[in-house]
Amino acid sequence: MRSDPEKCIGCRKCAVYCPMDCITYPARPEGAGGKGKLMAVVDQDECVECGCCLRAQVCPSGALFRPELTWPRNVRAAFSDPTITFKETNVSGRGTEEMKTNDVTGRFKPGMVGFATEMGRPGLGARLRDLDKMAQALAKVGARFEPLNPVTSLVMEDPASGRVKADLLDEKVLSAIIEAEIELDKFPSVLKVIKEVAGEVESVFSLDVICPTRGDEPNPALPLIARAGFQVRINGKTNLGFGRASNQGVKS
Amino acid sequence: MTHTLHRRGEKEELLQDFPMLALVAQRFNEQGARPKLQRIAEIMLKHSDINFGDCRVNKFTTPVEEIKDNLSVVAHVVFRDKESLTACMRELKEADQGISVIVSGCFEAVEECCQKAGIKPHLTEFSLGVHGRTELLPEEPVLEILTMCGHAMVAKNQVTHLLERIRKGKITPEEAGQELAKPCVCGIFNPERAARLLGRLAGV
Repeated sequence: MRSDPEKCIGCRKCAVYCPMDCITYPARPEGAGGKGKLMAVVDQDECVECGCCLRAQVCPSGALFRPELTWPRNVRAAFSDPTITFKETNVSGRGTEEMKTNDVTGRFKPGMVGFATEMGRPGLGARLRDLDKMAQALAKVGARFEPLNPVTSLVMEDPASGRVKADLLDEKVLSAIIEAEIELDKFPSVLKVIKEVAGEVESVFSLDVICPTRGDEPNPALPLIARAGFQVRINGKTNLGFGRASNQGVKS
Repeated sequence: MTHTLHRRGEKEELLQDFPMLALVAQRFNEQGARPKLQRIAEIMLKHSDINFGDCRVNKFTTPVEEIKDNLSVVAHVVFRDKESLTACMRELKEADQGISVIVSGCFEAVEECCQKAGIKPHLTEFSLGVHGRTELLPEEPVLEILTMCGHAMVAKNQVTHLLERIRKGKITPEEAGQELAKPCVCGIFNPERAARLLGRLAGV
């Protein structure tokens, strides 16, 4: 995002809507029109292109605008502005349909664990350097990244190694989700790696786990999670199982 | 897209906060999905008036009918208690539109609602919390408010700004809660819960 100094009246209304707290109001330098008067400046290194300031529609002079974004800066908007839909998935937001349509797609199967590390969440944002660290470490223990996730298709140089494209490492996003799966018996090594990388990242990440069960058996991932020293929160997501395939020629 | 997974708060608070979404499965059931999604939304809205959105706009920025008319992939609402959630689940089950429905919230409570509605859930997803440099996070009550928008569209500074206005008597916690719901384009932010938390934080 940017603020047009020719239009900005320095009213200070936009900054409160910025999740990255990166809009400031310095005095105008000489030659910028109205020397000494305040003007909004968006810190381009910290701005994640989420569009919140613009969508708030509080700028009375129309000074805020998003210029046409080109690579690699457009990746910031792709992972920060939930109104952008990825053409690969037709899903808005930052990930895939994951377990939300599993009753239809059967993506997660018993014996496997689906997991995600959402880098930068909650609310701090993260440089893709953090994602690179986590993804490379996960790849080494055999995690397979979800091909439809935009992190895999857009950010990674090589999904086999988890390596992030070099020109993206310094880009900052509100959050980006590494989605992967692994066999249940290898899941403890994933949890070990996640714990190690947690001590190395510059920001935060949230951790999600999906493990389908056979019939009414207790969830087999839970004892592995407890043994690794992680705590499962009391709240989470439940797919009620109402979905089914209905497209012509497609079965659930 | 784990936007409803990591809501924070004590059990007592979480028992008053249940986001629900209906999502079309691409390549499996998107053909002719709009009227089904609209029927689901009608049922959802019969049982919940807290919020409604489609990942582009929510009821605090756009009229409900307009959102409903334009539904194509996803619909979100939020429930304030187990009773309304159970009633909605039961009616959705009977309506049988063939679109996936997901409920977030305290597992114990959601399980109880499923039992009462005669539903055997398909799959659960667990949150294992936040890791890394957690010392950088805002204080817990503010984080409880912020995490009600999983895409982090609600800014900490906006919370602080509204708290000041509440303390000065310029706005009520309820009005502030609705203001905070606007940036959350999915429509999963719970302004009622936000109002309670803001009221406590502001000491009013």
